[in-house]
Amino acid sequence: MNWAKIRLERRDEVTWAWRLFCFLVAILGTLLVTGVLISTAGKEPIEAFKELFIGAFFGIDSIVETLVRATPLILTGLAAVVAFRAKIWSIGQEGQLVLGAIAAYWASIVFEGLPRIIVLSGVICLGFVGGALLGVFCGWLKARYRVDEIISTVMFNYAIFYLLTYLLSGPWQPPGDFYVQSAPVIEKALLPNLLQDTRLHGGLFIAIVVAIIVYILIKRTALGYEIRAFGSNPIASSFKGIKPTRMLVVVMLISGGIAGLAGTSELLGVHGRLNTDIAAGAGYTGIIVALIGGLTPLGTVIAAVLFGAMVNGGFMMQVVTGVPKSMVFAMQAITLLFFLCSTLMSQYRIKRVTEDV
Amino acid sequence: MSEFFTETIVISILAAMVRIGAPLILAAIGELIAERAGVINLGVEGMMLMGCFLGFFVTFETGSILAGIGAAMVGAMLMSLIMAFMAITLRLEQFVTGLALNLLASGLTLFWFRSLLKTIGSTQPNIDLLEKAPIPFLSDIPYLGIIVFSHNWLVYLAILSVPICSFFLYKTKYGLELRCLGENPRAIDMKGLSVAKRQYLAVLFGGMMAGLAGAFISVGSSIRFVPEMTAGRGWLAIVIVIAGNWQPKWILVAALVFAFLEAFQMHVQAVGINFPYQILLALPYVVAVIALMHRRARSRAPASLGVAYSRGS
Repeated sequence: MNWAKIRLERRDEVTWAWRLFCFLVAILGTLLVTGVLISTAGKEPIEAFKELFIGAFFGIDSIVETLVRATPLILTGLAAVVAFRAKIWSIGQEGQLVLGAIAAYWASIVFEGLPRIIVLSGVICLGFVGGALLGVFCGWLKARYRVDEIISTVMFNYAIFYLLTYLLSGPWQPPGDFYVQSAPVIEKALLPNLLQDTRLHGGLFIAIVVAIIVYILIKRTALGYEIRAFGSNPIASSFKGIKPTRMLVVVMLISGGIAGLAGTSELLGVHGRLNTDIAAGAGYTGIIVALIGGLTPLGTVIAAVLFGAMVNGGFMMQVVTGVPKSMVFAMQAITLLFFLCSTLMSQYRIKRVTEDV
Repeated sequence: MSEFFTETIVISILAAMVRIGAPLILAAIGELIAERAGVINLGVEGMMLMGCFLGFFVTFETGSILAGIGAAMVGAMLMSLIMAFMAITLRLEQFVTGLALNLLASGLTLFWFRSLLKTIGSTQPNIDLLEKAPIPFLSDIPYLGIIVFSHNWLVYLAILSVPICSFFLYKTKYGLELRCLGENPRAIDMKGLSVAKRQYLAVLFGGMMAGLAGAFISVGSSIRFVPEMTAGRGWLAIVIVIAGNWQPKWILVAALVFAFLEAFQMHVQAVGINFPYQILLALPYVVAVIALMHRRARSRAPASLGVAYSRGS
């Protein structure tokens, strides 16, 4: 008696048509399951999907808003790409994002009296450093004490969030203020708008630049080669003189720093003050984005825009059909599950096992 | 007077420690069984959250706490079935699947909370708590009676699960097979026993326990449901398994240490000592990292933990 009755056999060659077919199956599966879940709440799925789509893409305002929502996801996604390429399973983007935002806010207070260009670049640099510090710390814990990076990064996600709530209900709470939030960031430190009368801000520019840098880093530099070698076989790569400790620290520095930039961009481009919604799950969503983007910078940018569209369309869906926008987060997770299955499906053919081995 | 006050506080903290420790023990024992079978289930947090919501929701709708707890276990088991299918049958990266399940539970419970539980006027939907069931005679023992024997039955179940699990792992044939699965699945396969079947059962058991733990957090300790109510306890359960070096008795100790930190934090807040309580809230997570820094702690880690078994390679 054999428990698993199906066996997978690797395909000799994967045609793009088959790959596309698998991808479409994944999308269909996602829509189907999400549709069923929407109807559990007694709502009309087709109607909800329609409003989601309209809210995400119809009109210049919707597209701009989609890009605004995509910006942090591009950055957290790229942070995940850098780490995952080295097979370092950091899921600390959420905490690094928050610590980046905290560092950036602190910088905006310290640099208050300086000229704008110095303030702006100082704030962005410290945002990077904030996230990078947390990343490096987790990398060092892994290298020195073999603390599993999955666990340590998640633990710090929670710890850093409590640090944020402490800062916002104590030291950085404006006197007499009731809300858990900081005073507004000084005008000089805010990111410039890219398009007048919209919320499109300089963070998107930063995200695109980082995407290009990550592309060059992975494809064209010696360090990128080391990252890929370390990721595919850390033991073999150590014989080539690639030191695991150095890799862990360097990769987590870059990855954490990029996540920190996501926090900086949200603080200075969207919220304008530090509050508890600064991350809003962007760290975790970034991981899905990176995986769906095939751990490539371009794929990540595309996936981030699609996921940003989902979040943005979710608002329209909620207003028009009454389906809570939190559905979108469930839908994103379902997308990942189906995507994982479809990627596997595209590489294999499924064979039924008839004989009992 | 002050001495009496101190004594009351200490007993109260220790009783709270046992109560808070219960869901951690339940989830950690479930995770231990899954990990001993070689599957690292990082979806515990999501399964707990699902159990937490379903426990509350079904209790609210039917008025029966037992139905709520049952629904929590079934819901979490369904999620662990996805985990098992992706990890064992499809042999996908286990950590990615676990993460996806966490995000799924996080989105889905919030969605259901917003769409199914309408607030009526200004009153939030609430339920009656699972009643306390002090054990006759034992609850009369000074100190220990209040600390250990005056809780609801889920707490006793959690405590009992430790020796039961220990007996199962070390004294039964199935326990031996399970331990072997995590160390050397090929040996099980060579004996003509099904690796996949045993791993499926272990992961499903882990899911069931996570669901039970989640139900405890809602119907066992709160009259309301709050989004993200499990607040990282599922992750702590995973840490507890590692810190407890994959052995039931040390898992009990580790769970109680984390529970003590939380109980202490609650009392500091309640007594009104002027200390930022957020720092104390962060403490368990920082302690978790410190606990994992000890090299000796990992000596009993299953050798093929997280590696999908494939007959060919």
